[in-house]
Amino acid sequence: MKTKIIILLTIYFQLFAFNLLAQVPSPAPQQKGAVLLQNGIAHLGNGEVIENAVIGFENGKITLVADARVVKIDPSSYDTIINIEGKHVYPGIIAPNSTLGLTEIDAVRATQDNDETGILNPHVRSIIAYNTESNITTTVRFNGVLMGQITPRGGLISGSSSIVQFDAWNWEDAIYKEDDGIHINWPNMYQRWGGKENKEYDNTKKELHDFFENAKPYCKVNNHNEINIRFESVRGLFNGTKRIYIHTDYIKEITEAITFVKKYELKNVTLVGAYDAWMVTELLKENNISVILKRVHSLPERQEEDVYLPYKMPKILFDAGILFCLENAGDMEAMNTRNLPFYAGTAVAYGLTKEQALQTITLNTAKILSIDKTCGSLEIGKDATLFVSTGDALDMKTNNVELAFIQGRKIDLSSRQKNLYEKYSKKYKQQ
Amino acid sequence: MKKIFLLILVCIQVFVFAQETFVVNGTHNNINNYYAFTNATIYQDYQTIIENGTLLIYDRKVVEIGESKKVKLPKNTVVYDLKGKFIYPSFIDLSSNYGMPEIKNDNKPNYGPQMETNNQGAFNWNQAIKPEVEAGKLFTPVQKQAEEYRKIGFGTVLTHQQDGIIRGVSALVTLGDEKAQLMLINEKVAGHLSFDKGSSTQDYPGSLMGAIALIRQTYYDVDWMYNNNHFKENNLSLKAILDNWELPQIFEVKDKLDILRADKIGDEFNTQYIFVGNGDEYQRLKEIKATEGKIIVPINFPEPFDVEDPYEALKVAYSSVKHWELAPYNLKLLADSAIDFTITSDGLKDKKDFLPNLRQAVKYGLTEKNALKALTYNPAQFIGEYANVGSLEKNKLANFIIASENIFNEKAIIHENWVKGKQHIIKDYNNFDVRGRYDVNVNGKLYELKVNGSEDKPQGTIYIVNGKDTIKEKATITVKGSLINLSFNVADSVAEPAYLRLSGAINYNNVIWDGNAQLPNGDWVKWSAIRKKDDKKDDKKKVDNNDSLAVPNIKYPLMAYGQDSLPVAKTMLIKNATVWTNEAEGILKNTDVLIKDGKIAVIGKDLVVEEGVEVIDGTNKHLTAGIIDEHSHIAISRGVNECTQAVTAEVSIADVVNSDDINIYRQLAGGVVAAQLLHGSCNPIGGQSALIKLKWGHSPEEMKIDTKDGFIKFALGENVKQSNWGPFNTVRFPQTRMGVEQVYYDAFTRAKEYQAKWDAFAKLNPKEKDKAEAPRIDLELETLNEILNKERFISCHSYVQSEINMLMHVGDSMGFTVNTFTHILEGYKLADKMKNHGAAGSTFSDWWAYKYEVNDAIPYNGAIMHHEGVLTAFNSDDAEMGRRLNQEAAKAIKYGEVSEEEALKFVTLNPAKMLHLDDRMGSIKIGKDACIVLWNDHPLSVYATVSKTIIDGAIYFDNEWDKVLAQKNKEEKAAIINKMIAEKKEGKKTQPAKSKKPTLYHCDTVGE
Repeated sequence: MKTKIIILLTIYFQLFAFNLLAQVPSPAPQQKGAVLLQNGIAHLGNGEVIENAVIGFENGKITLVADARVVKIDPSSYDTIINIEGKHVYPGIIAPNSTLGLTEIDAVRATQDNDETGILNPHVRSIIAYNTESNITTTVRFNGVLMGQITPRGGLISGSSSIVQFDAWNWEDAIYKEDDGIHINWPNMYQRWGGKENKEYDNTKKELHDFFENAKPYCKVNNHNEINIRFESVRGLFNGTKRIYIHTDYIKEITEAITFVKKYELKNVTLVGAYDAWMVTELLKENNISVILKRVHSLPERQEEDVYLPYKMPKILFDAGILFCLENAGDMEAMNTRNLPFYAGTAVAYGLTKEQALQTITLNTAKILSIDKTCGSLEIGKDATLFVSTGDALDMKTNNVELAFIQGRKIDLSSRQKNLYEKYSKKYKQQ
Repeated sequence: MKKIFLLILVCIQVFVFAQETFVVNGTHNNINNYYAFTNATIYQDYQTIIENGTLLIYDRKVVEIGESKKVKLPKNTVVYDLKGKFIYPSFIDLSSNYGMPEIKNDNKPNYGPQMETNNQGAFNWNQAIKPEVEAGKLFTPVQKQAEEYRKIGFGTVLTHQQDGIIRGVSALVTLGDEKAQLMLINEKVAGHLSFDKGSSTQDYPGSLMGAIALIRQTYYDVDWMYNNNHFKENNLSLKAILDNWELPQIFEVKDKLDILRADKIGDEFNTQYIFVGNGDEYQRLKEIKATEGKIIVPINFPEPFDVEDPYEALKVAYSSVKHWELAPYNLKLLADSAIDFTITSDGLKDKKDFLPNLRQAVKYGLTEKNALKALTYNPAQFIGEYANVGSLEKNKLANFIIASENIFNEKAIIHENWVKGKQHIIKDYNNFDVRGRYDVNVNGKLYELKVNGSEDKPQGTIYIVNGKDTIKEKATITVKGSLINLSFNVADSVAEPAYLRLSGAINYNNVIWDGNAQLPNGDWVKWSAIRKKDDKKDDKKKVDNNDSLAVPNIKYPLMAYGQDSLPVAKTMLIKNATVWTNEAEGILKNTDVLIKDGKIAVIGKDLVVEEGVEVIDGTNKHLTAGIIDEHSHIAISRGVNECTQAVTAEVSIADVVNSDDINIYRQLAGGVVAAQLLHGSCNPIGGQSALIKLKWGHSPEEMKIDTKDGFIKFALGENVKQSNWGPFNTVRFPQTRMGVEQVYYDAFTRAKEYQAKWDAFAKLNPKEKDKAEAPRIDLELETLNEILNKERFISCHSYVQSEINMLMHVGDSMGFTVNTFTHILEGYKLADKMKNHGAAGSTFSDWWAYKYEVNDAIPYNGAIMHHEGVLTAFNSDDAEMGRRLNQEAAKAIKYGEVSEEEALKFVTLNPAKMLHLDDRMGSIKIGKDACIVLWNDHPLSVYATVSKTIIDGAIYFDNEWDKVLAQKNKEEKAAIINKMIAEKKEGKKTQPAKSKKPTLYHCDTVGE
């Protein structure tokens, strides 16, 4: 009897607790019926704008993107018609190189699942640790960031990233592209920027070379009697199905990394961070290397550099014809993901056009992640992953996401933060 | 009459000669002779030169000095003929640890705190305060060190144990090789201090500001002991400070700003320190001159960086290359500013670099006279020992050097260094310098010989005339005393070498060599060589070069984007701008603002100004009050936190403002004009703040805002209870929020009791005061009383509503108001209570999720507090975010629909109010300081960029000028790099390319 009461009480308290904490809204069901967004200003993500657009989507795919003045719409073919006159519609923003869902509270170790011990961990997969219940993800969605590349950190080879969409019951539902690439932290030649020489540099670099030296011939054979799971995990790098992401900043390291990928004939190569990339754009172009560019809201690394250099880098890379996108890794990276559109906005203040800047957080990201066939821009046939903002979404002053769809599903934009806002607004109304 | 007196003196000296306390093994060997050094060029002191002079010494002292013909030599005189040679008083080094025991660092890993000293004796509570150390008692001569000094001309050093903050007294010792009793001249010469706690393992102080507070408190304690008839301790450290108070006090610093910091302490206690500088004094000459302090200056000029690889060169900061270029001018510039200084060899990696560097300084404009003065007269004067050393005068110590020529000539050699009348040969001048040209005759066959190389290692080239051809051959030359050996190949064919080997003597002062030679076939023959006359063209040319060196321009501060000259306030008209007044007038379109005398003079339309007034076109631009960052940690030297105790109200960021932080300029580029530089958040009661205007280029004192209200940092939550400090930091109280409350109650209870004690004491009549125990001045409790007296105001780092509520209760019951809760991410939960208490909230726009206590942080926080009537601001706590606070303000519009005008106030007027500066800053109002920003776009838009940032009517950032500066910096750095590479090619030692990345401080940064 006693135990029964305890069990009941426990259940009761758990339910109670669940109610309090259940602030991550339920994922939206599959899109049913066709939706039409009318009269909005459509920023397609590919550089184009349609001032008065109609956008239709059905079964999660975009079926219509057109200038409202030149197409005739049959309202009966849409189940839902939403008038977004004067509002802006954008493809969902994609956050590359992100730890969303792998971390919840930076200072609480128990909530950290992004950095495995050891230095050669290509087989470690971020996707299985991806927490769809993260409260941070909901606060990212309400600014228009709807997808991300969930990426492990640490070591020399950190592991495999996967691309997810941000409205799912579990990591399997969330997967957009599983194990899309392997992440390498190029060793530092110097103690962070200009300090003492890292005496272990050559040794560390050799470990990386040794790994690839052995992995390459291993991967030429398909059925090994003894499986090496590390080598198996990088098979895709040699057959072109996976991308190699090399995280590095300093110009000499970038140069060495490029020699490295050439040596092992790695085809799909992207530099991540790449602070000095703007100085070696020709080299990047010659080798067809794309860039996931370090947080725009950064300080210059060197005293005499242009005070606005990090703000200006997108323009420099754009003018040089480099395929690049913006990321936000760094301090408090998970929570800062929601500021990705404003990094693009800052790039506009320092040279890019708004549409070019938008491209660096949507279509360019999709291209680099090799998912541009199905997302990254508002184009017919692609996923209906998009959002509507009252005003210009790249400017914090006007960014206000009213509606968001992921693969046609209208997602619930509420969050724990909004709930707390409402809760305490009530407190003062009661007074 | 004079002569008789002289005679008597000489006699007395004869009688007192050579008595000592030592036991002698064997027969005594007292020489009792005079020594005379004749026909030399003698520097009697730094400015008196005796040509063809004689120096007479006896019994360790100078007996007479003068023109050779006038100095009478007693019969028992050993005479050295020094024709052509130079005599100088030997040099004195005031910064040395010569003969001191090695300082043992307790290198065991320090897990967890060490709150008390490891020194259990009756000394100061802090392990870094050791005024009781007496160098004289520790001194033991160390010949290897002494010899290094002697080789570079030093005869005397002031030595002390270079360890700790208050280091004890130094001793003056000579650098001979005799017994310590003879070498020790004065065992108590000067007191020594530094900001470096050295080998102390005790936690406190953990920052530069802590070291400053510790020195001040210690001085107050000495004062307390001195003025208190009922002092209960017998504290040997305090006694030592008191005993040695009248001695010169020498303060070793790490850079030029430290000189200003130390001088401030000196001013407070009526002490003028002598400073041991760092060689960068030229960067703040005006301020250093104003300290009236004398300086002991090292000449450890940086080596050129190895920058042949342009990628490597990227790592070297502009400031480092610029310092390399300017460092050799430092002494000249100090002399030009009439700052008294001495030169020290301390800080040199290799003492051998001393003379070359000294000569370099002379080449770069330091006069020889000033150089000598800084090595002889000044050091002796600084420590009051000129009666003994520093010149060659009767009765002074016979401490002098003999040089081959003017010591500042590149080739000058120090032959001998006499210490207290004892000879130390460094390079025997009886050795022959065989360099030159000779005709060599070997058994009738003539050869021409050229000898180059160094004096020690001569290298010969022999020219063999073979019919019409002349063959050059290398000749090996060895000189030992007056013996010389030569050998060279005289073979006709390459295949079979045939050596002619000569050996013999050097005669007639190196004019003729002769001896026997053995031919390649084994036959013996005679040989001789005659020296040819030298031609001396080369030397003169070099001298001419020296005068043309102009001092490269000095930047303020000496870093990229530094100013050639400081910006000055001008009368300026900003025309036709959109003006965000932050006043009842709201936003005024097409409006002109006139700035005069650093203030906002007129606001109106179509203003007409007289000619010459600078007119800035504001068309399509926005003019706002400058951004004020309520919570910043830029521009701070060596530690933002004094984490070592729960209450450190005695420390102050104002003591450690760093004017050399590139982030000052970067923030100007983001429209920031002022900031509160806060202590960090690792203890419940942290240190005092500094309020500064970002007057880039000015000194720290000039940047500080003159305000009657002070501020202080308090902190709550995870940082103060050390939640995220790892498993070893579980000792310091408090470890829970419960403990934090008690820290406050305890601190303020003690503060009140302290005040009561002082008040009671003040009421006593003088007689009663004599009988009573005088209260101690406690800097920590003094500061807390400033809070209770409403002279100092709190900015409290806070997150969670429970603790915020708690502190307001503590405040209410103890009688203070929390001025501002900073961070205050749960302010939205108790905005009503904050309003009632009267606290403002200075928060982040959208930060969260970095600690457990910010799990409930929401970006709507600012809006809710604002809507509920709490004075609200957004701050940065971050050098990066600090330069785009306008964007952060805009987030208040996005999250919670604050109006644009009110949102802008979050980063302008509202922080000004929190910092009690709104009477002069924060809005565009006639009479207020002209601290304003001209934006190229709507100031709250992400697309806005700064056109101009104006502080007190002077332009500190200009978007166009910024580009010019960047280009100039690039060209200057490239030009200096060219010079460095040229020096490397000439064979100069280089250092690898590197720069230390400046530390970016946050609230929770521990250490320097």
